[in-house]
Amino acid sequence: MERRQFLNVTLGALALAVVPASVKAEDFRKSKPAVWSAHTVEDAIKALYGTNELVEGHVKLKAAGETFDSGKKAVASSGGAIPVDFGTDIAAKTIAVFQDANPESAVCVISTNKYSVNEYSIKIKMGKPGSITIVVEGEDGKLYAAKQTLDVALGGCEG
Amino acid sequence: MAGIKVKAKLKGDVIKVKALAKHAMTTYNMMEKKTGNRDDANFIEHISATVNGETVFDMSTSQFLSKNPIFKFQFKGFKKGDKVMMVATDRKGKTLKGKGKIK
Repeated sequence: MERRQFLNVTLGALALAVVPASVKAEDFRKSKPAVWSAHTVEDAIKALYGTNELVEGHVKLKAAGETFDSGKKAVASSGGAIPVDFGTDIAAKTIAVFQDANPESAVCVISTNKYSVNEYSIKIKMGKPGSITIVVEGEDGKLYAAKQTLDVALGGCEG
Repeated sequence: MAGIKVKAKLKGDVIKVKALAKHAMTTYNMMEKKTGNRDDANFIEHISATVNGETVFDMSTSQFLSKNPIFKFQFKGFKKGDKVMMVATDRKGKTLKGKGKIK
């Protein structure tokens, strides 16, 4: 009986030791499935972070060649591949990209690590004109955001 | 479905990576129009990069990345000659792999 208990305890401890390692690189599709089916940006942010309180600043965003604070509306010639550059200068835990033109709003969530230099560039699809929102979860627990509105000349989601 | 093309370049102490994944990235609506079945949609759900066994990039993605999506990201702490390994998993469970040496 003692032996069995010993085994149970060791196996339990092993299982516990393994879990944090896999949680470190989080797969947000598995851990937060509601994010990916949310239809509005507000819902998606709430599903991901549990709050909608956004603070401005510390986020860099450039969509279709226009930075979000230039005051201009960006125009993408094709909705099939809109270049989005984003980054932050603060210590971040996660960075998420949302848009409000498509049926669902989440585009991607990055979990950062100690090697990360937080400058990213991706290409996204948008079916109609809308806006792109970047949310950075800082290590201080606050959510920093930036938003860029853009026109899409040709829809990309209909294929 | 080919794999992922990875280009990594060391500039100063920062490594800049450009990765191109070959994938159709179909959305639910696209497939509903094409085949009538929303469940036929297939896109990369998760992509990550490791160097020497250490994760340097980790992203959960949705169907709204472009077709054959490009990912640009940066990290530091590694040297020339180290290999960047990238793995992406799509909705149907298929994995795409690619690697590139840091130049």
